[in-house]
Amino acid sequence: MLRRRLTIAFALAVGVSTVALAAGSYFVVRHNLLKDSVATSAKQAKQNLQIAPRYLPDQPAKLLDVYKGIGGFETVLVAGGQQYAGFGVALRQVPSELRKLVHDGQLGYQRTTVAGTHYLVVGGPSDDEAQLYFFYSEQGLWHELDVLRNILLAGGALLVLLAALAGAVIAREALRPVAQASEAAHSLAEGLLETRLPVEGRDEFGAWAQAFNEMAGALEAKIAALSAAQARERRFTADVAHELRTPLTGLVGEASLLSEHLEQMPPESRRPAELLIADVGRLRKLVEDLMEISRLQAGAESVHAEPVDLASVTAAILRARGWTERVSLDGAETEITTDPRRLERIVANLVGNALEHGGGNGVAVRVGRDGSGAFVEVADRGPGIPPEHLPHLFERFYKADPSRTGRGSGLGLAIAQENALLLGGEIDVRSEPGAGSTFTLRL
Amino acid sequence: MNEQVLLVEDDASIREVTTLGLEQSGFAVTSAGDGREGLIQFRQGRFDLVVLDVMLPSLDGFEVLREIRKDSQAPVVMLTARSDLHDVVVGLELGADDYVTKPFELPELVARMKAVLRRSTAEPEAGVIAADGLEIDPAAFTVRRGSEEIALTATEFRLLLELARRPKQVFTRELLLELVWNYDYLGDSRLVDAAVQRLRGKIEDDPKEPTLIRTVRGVGYKFG
Repeated sequence: MLRRRLTIAFALAVGVSTVALAAGSYFVVRHNLLKDSVATSAKQAKQNLQIAPRYLPDQPAKLLDVYKGIGGFETVLVAGGQQYAGFGVALRQVPSELRKLVHDGQLGYQRTTVAGTHYLVVGGPSDDEAQLYFFYSEQGLWHELDVLRNILLAGGALLVLLAALAGAVIAREALRPVAQASEAAHSLAEGLLETRLPVEGRDEFGAWAQAFNEMAGALEAKIAALSAAQARERRFTADVAHELRTPLTGLVGEASLLSEHLEQMPPESRRPAELLIADVGRLRKLVEDLMEISRLQAGAESVHAEPVDLASVTAAILRARGWTERVSLDGAETEITTDPRRLERIVANLVGNALEHGGGNGVAVRVGRDGSGAFVEVADRGPGIPPEHLPHLFERFYKADPSRTGRGSGLGLAIAQENALLLGGEIDVRSEPGAGSTFTLRL
Repeated sequence: MNEQVLLVEDDASIREVTTLGLEQSGFAVTSAGDGREGLIQFRQGRFDLVVLDVMLPSLDGFEVLREIRKDSQAPVVMLTARSDLHDVVVGLELGADDYVTKPFELPELVARMKAVLRRSTAEPEAGVIAADGLEIDPAAFTVRRGSEEIALTATEFRLLLELARRPKQVFTRELLLELVWNYDYLGDSRLVDAAVQRLRGKIEDDPKEPTLIRTVRGVGYKFG
């Protein structure tokens, strides 16, 4: 996540510079304090050493008293094989390197700790083969350094924390347009096409928001145009079907009158009259299907659901169409709540389709209920449908074999599927070339 | 038999072929080309049945039906466009007895007309049924409350009679469609609901709180 990374980077940058700065100043201060301490102590030690010959070698105890009188340090005196020491200190506490140095007649200093107390030990030889060591306490100095270190540590931690906080706030503010844009893109994707971004300022984000808005506007206009065109197309289909109905009603009436008088017709007009009657029937089916599909797709159809037994409704449908001889029905009572007229449209379409394409081998209808709900299954043992046609089977006017002009309108399966969707169900199809096809309505 | 039929249909071709077909089926047909003319014809003659198109110039089918129902209970079969589902409901609520959707085949229309006419045939040997202050006389084809006669269409009368003959029995819509409308397969249950509404409006004290024809939720209706 970019925001967290930005926050961490910010905190890290501040942290590293704080540590470098704090450590630097700590060590500079420490170095200077220690150097000052050495200089002061060395200067004092030299004065002490100058006094020493006045009392040595005869009065070493007196010398220690004098030193005590000066104050600020403890003394270890080695003279004539004898050792004299002040309060809390002894020769063995003098580091051996320093002892060697002083023994060789040189002036030197070294730091050591005695019983938890930091000392700067300055040592030097006196004229009379004696060695003097002065212990200057540096306890105060080290305490000050500790305090300084703690202050720097706490301050640094605080700074890093503040930096992280500031980083988070800055990152959020800087990334706010990105978050807004991603939210806007989501709502566009969900279909809220009027979504726009606020254009704030003339920076890169402002330009970006402007571009985003232009894109959203173009998208909205495009989709509006598309759905208007689609609505016009549907309206046109509905209008055409509607306008065809009046002349068609005349034709259907005339054909049904003609059909009652076929016997009295002279042979030369009888056959054309028969063909006319059949074609009027086809035209009627086509127009009625066209009206139904355009109503279904316009969402103008309503559902009148009631409790029905799927098995007995299916049996009634087969009976009413005179299909009981050619269609076998298998299934127990299956109570569901649905619209029986729509159910009739679906089942009659599927069975009619199976009878037409099933190769005359009979059609088997099965009704029942399984794990996913109630179903009506219509199986034929015809030549089957090649797999490449299966996905398009429920499209309007789709014909698996373009050279075949079936008796249907080409809308039957599309109508059946739309009706199934209206009932909250779906039709699916399985087919095995050579073995037949099975359409299953699930409710 | 030669029942007198008034056909109101604006399309000349449909009007002529329907007239021919109905005459060949034994009806005496008077036809009108628009609503106003149809209404004038209706008031001048005596008709056993009216076949009425919904979409008519000058006065639409609903207006004609509303005028007819003001003073006549003559059976009316509507011709509707199937796409206009709304039309069916409005027509039935205004008191149409049945409907046929366009395009229709003549035998279909004739079957509906005969079913409607059968309803208005009296049953001379049946006795009077009295229930809750109502007096139903199948022989005289009348319904009275006290001395007041209630005017019912043939469909409403037949529906009331079927229900009242077996009080307390629950009738499904399918059964009523079969008994009253002669549909033996997938009739339109809205025919029953609309007729019950109209019947309640005429015989119930408070049609909103019916006490004579009760609804049995999810099943149908019962009398008493």
